[in-house]
Amino acid sequence: MKETQIALKKTLFFLCFLFSIYSYSQQKFTISGTLLEEATGETLIGVNVLIPELQTGTITNEYGFYSITLPEGNYEVLFSSLGFATQTETISLDKNISLNISLKTDTEQLDEVVITADVERANIKAPQMSVNTLTAGTIKSIPVVLGEADVIKSLLLLPGVSNAGEGSSGFNVRGGAVDQNLILLDEATIFNSSHLFGFFSVFNPDAIKDVKLFKGSIPARYGGRVSSVLEIFQKEGNSKELKFNGGIGAVSSRLLAEGPIVKDKSAFLVGGRASYAHLFLPLFDINNSAYFYDLNTKLNYRINENNNIFLSGYFGRDLFSINDSFVNVYGNALVNFRWNHIFSDKLFSNVSLIYSDYYYGLELDFVGFEWNSGIQNFNLKYDLKHYLTDKLQINYGLNNIYYSFNPGEIKPNGPDSGIVEDQLIKKYANESAVYIDVEQDLTSKLSVQYGVRLSHFIRFGQEEINVYADNNPVVFDPFTLIYEKAEPIETVPSSRSDQLESYTNFEPRIAAAYAFNDDLSIKASYTRLSQYLHLLSNTSSPTPLDVWTPSGPYVKPQLLDQYAFGVFKNLRNRDFTIEAEVYYKDVQNRIDYIDGADLIANDAIEQVILNGEARAYGLELLLRKNTGKLQGWVSYTLSKSEQRTPPRNENETGINNGEWYNTPYDKPHDISIYGNYELNKKWSFNSNFVFQTGRPTNYPIGQFVFQDIVVPYYGFRNVERLPSYHRIDLSAIYTPTKKKNRNWSGEWVFSIYNVYNRRNAASINFRQNEDTGANEAVRTSIFGIVPSVTYNFKF
Amino acid sequence: MARYFYLLTLVVILFSSCEDVIEVDVPIDEPRLVLDGLIRVDTTQEFVDVNIKITKTNAFFEAIDIVSDVESIYIYYGVENEYGELIGGFYSNLAEVEPGSGVYEPDPTFTSDQRIRTNYIENETAFWLILDYEDRRYAAKTYYATSVAIESLEQGDGTLFGDDEIEIVIAFTDEPEKENFYVFDFDFGNFITSEDTFYEDQPFSFSYFYDVGLTEGDEVTVSILGANEDFYNYMNLLLEQSEGGFGPFQTPVATVRGNIFDVTGIDNINQFDNVGEPDNFPLGYFAVVQSFKRSIIIE
Repeated sequence: MKETQIALKKTLFFLCFLFSIYSYSQQKFTISGTLLEEATGETLIGVNVLIPELQTGTITNEYGFYSITLPEGNYEVLFSSLGFATQTETISLDKNISLNISLKTDTEQLDEVVITADVERANIKAPQMSVNTLTAGTIKSIPVVLGEADVIKSLLLLPGVSNAGEGSSGFNVRGGAVDQNLILLDEATIFNSSHLFGFFSVFNPDAIKDVKLFKGSIPARYGGRVSSVLEIFQKEGNSKELKFNGGIGAVSSRLLAEGPIVKDKSAFLVGGRASYAHLFLPLFDINNSAYFYDLNTKLNYRINENNNIFLSGYFGRDLFSINDSFVNVYGNALVNFRWNHIFSDKLFSNVSLIYSDYYYGLELDFVGFEWNSGIQNFNLKYDLKHYLTDKLQINYGLNNIYYSFNPGEIKPNGPDSGIVEDQLIKKYANESAVYIDVEQDLTSKLSVQYGVRLSHFIRFGQEEINVYADNNPVVFDPFTLIYEKAEPIETVPSSRSDQLESYTNFEPRIAAAYAFNDDLSIKASYTRLSQYLHLLSNTSSPTPLDVWTPSGPYVKPQLLDQYAFGVFKNLRNRDFTIEAEVYYKDVQNRIDYIDGADLIANDAIEQVILNGEARAYGLELLLRKNTGKLQGWVSYTLSKSEQRTPPRNENETGINNGEWYNTPYDKPHDISIYGNYELNKKWSFNSNFVFQTGRPTNYPIGQFVFQDIVVPYYGFRNVERLPSYHRIDLSAIYTPTKKKNRNWSGEWVFSIYNVYNRRNAASINFRQNEDTGANEAVRTSIFGIVPSVTYNFKF
Repeated sequence: MARYFYLLTLVVILFSSCEDVIEVDVPIDEPRLVLDGLIRVDTTQEFVDVNIKITKTNAFFEAIDIVSDVESIYIYYGVENEYGELIGGFYSNLAEVEPGSGVYEPDPTFTSDQRIRTNYIENETAFWLILDYEDRRYAAKTYYATSVAIESLEQGDGTLFGDDEIEIVIAFTDEPEKENFYVFDFDFGNFITSEDTFYEDQPFSFSYFYDVGLTEGDEVTVSILGANEDFYNYMNLLLEQSEGGFGPFQTPVATVRGNIFDVTGIDNINQFDNVGEPDNFPLGYFAVVQSFKRSIIIE
């Protein structure tokens, strides 16, 4: 009896304790609202909302909304953000308060080029790690080739981010492949981020508000790619007054208009960018054109305090035409409808309906055919953010994406063509996920973020699918030691409502931060991610003819486990920040290709693919200087990225004898230095230095001649390396004094890329000289020294 | 504004990629035997022009070594029985007719004629090449592959990448009711491969652009060679490896293995499904294909 009483008392005590955690003794109230830029009415992402008295705070979400619940009392609330004057409000919290705040920019200059005291600081206390943010301002001041401000080229200066070299599309994060990056523009997936074979990226810097790259510790609300998430938000448009800005550069010109439809309620933004038509004229001195354009649009409408709708669109195309005998068109298109609804001051929601596609078209007149291929997807997302207390936030939601793949359609281009019309088999799939993600401060020093994503993938039926003996589409010839296509034993038709295969994956994410004080913390994280789509590419970097293939009966989803640990420190009164991280990751089911695999117009891609694995590990250091006239960062990455395809049984050799080999983007040493010096109100200077180990390549181990063809032959993969890559870039920005009583303001950007004109090798090819017949090694270098001038304006 | 556009033009001119020849230390593998055994059968002739060149691999910047001391080399051919065995076929013994050339042709010193008559060759004729060299035996097997005639060969006036190109338009009709593979020989070591997937059973024409310095009066000979799928794949890989590629379009490297194997110690060559030294493979290919050719004088 007594024991029962004690047990009962203990239970009661425990319940009381639990209750007390939740309610404490005092009453609590919520302060919530939206942060806006005063001049434009644009919502502000990532603004710090701080309550110094309680040493607590929050930040605004992707839509500028914040909510924090505090005990009753009088507080000072600080709202501070990059490039804006910090605003302080004194509140007396005795009921729930709605407080919308407009922040003023802290200078009169073009806000985009101002780098102020609050430059992207390491956030000491938040458990989120392995993330980098860049503002449109930083992106625009980094010197780049031909002065064309570029999101992706700017990311390459950060630790853990690299690419295959100049003139190659995409980017590699922590030794991952290009197709493992989830690129979101206003939440819609972009399948190809490059213009002109990778010289430029598809994002118009004028239309961009915020860029965030998750390299690891990816929150549960994201999924579908295993390496990184690059999230880009477009501006909403100025809801106060009609404004124009633009630029004239060496490659392209830009113009963007934004303004209110109904003042303070509704705004539009339309931005266009187009390159000049004959960019590559000097390369081939004939009748040709090569250009790109893109169009960004956005409409928003604030229905009332609690409801906000957005419609955004993007359309971009690249066009190549050589003598009308070779015509190539490709690009992305997307349209996105979103509805923000605030259920209560603690519960924020967003619904997104997204359509996006990627199109690739080719006409070859000298062979007489037309080619069209692409990928379409329909995406529904519903995300909720629940701000329970100042110490606990829960995010949850669901996501469903329906994919339709057109691997290629071939048509005769005229009545004289002998080409027979053909449609490669279309593929269909659906990816769905639910997630829950908790952000919690356990103590004043320890905070955690944990969650789980449950993803489910269905590969639907298609016109026909091959069936192989032993379910094995690739056979090994033990006599010649090579992998070969297996002959299908039958082909089976199926309906689009059938399920050919389905996969379910449980993806836990955990991150924790321990802050020793306001200026020093350690963080650790574990992330599991799955990826159901694969980009088929066996070149060192993808071509615009991106063939994506869904997982299915023969191709398994890629599964990633990533572990990361980091130390974050502020130095000298936050003038400097240091971030150091180590990571290890491995990816199961990374596809590899058999020798001689033909990936284009292949209806049975499973016959040339083997399931391999990949791993990468490294150390990243980032030192930033955040204040003063001289600002910038130094980043160093030491890493290794490898893959292997082991034999499936004892009779096989595997690819590369089943040994680990360097991925084409393995670059052990990668150093980037970026500096910005503001001399005075008129002049500022920027500089980059980049050094990277040359990427892996192959040198022939011998040669032979067959029918007058000189053939180099090769041994194990990716053993040799290109020479090291390095260069220095400089730029100077001149802002003439703005004339009073005129709205026009402008700036000149003078830049020099690759100042010491180093001929960095993009590739080394081994071939026979056509004139002399002698064998030679030919280095291709893309950019020597490139000076350029760009003029940006605003009125 | 005018001054501005002047600037732009200047910048664009500077913007072009460039190539240069550099010194590279290349590794070297053990020398391997190489057989260039592509036999083109012109069915309008009485005999098949058999010549097989045998060399050894060398480092990329070294000269190729000629192999003149082959102990024995012969072709054994005929139609296989229903079990895939070749019994009672014909022999053609080869020898290096011109000493030091490394080229092996039907041996004229034999009492009987060692040449192969074109009318002995049928659609499914199997050919074996057997070679003894430095105490090892090598063998290759291939099946005859048919081709189709060139219907027309004309010079066009189009260009693709530069003004100094010469366009040649070739027309033919795909061999009906069969999955076909073709290898086109455009002379001067220029080859392309093609399969009929997208022009099955159709009359088809396409253009080829020469960027070598052809001038008026030069003669160009173009051939259509038949191919089976294996030979087509081999040529594809071979051309990919020899052409390399520009930056982003670079193809992954591979060792181009052919259909010639070390069969030392195997008694029944009809069933050599296992060999002692699979890594000791020679390079090159043995193929017997029908060929049609036409010539054109450049105007």
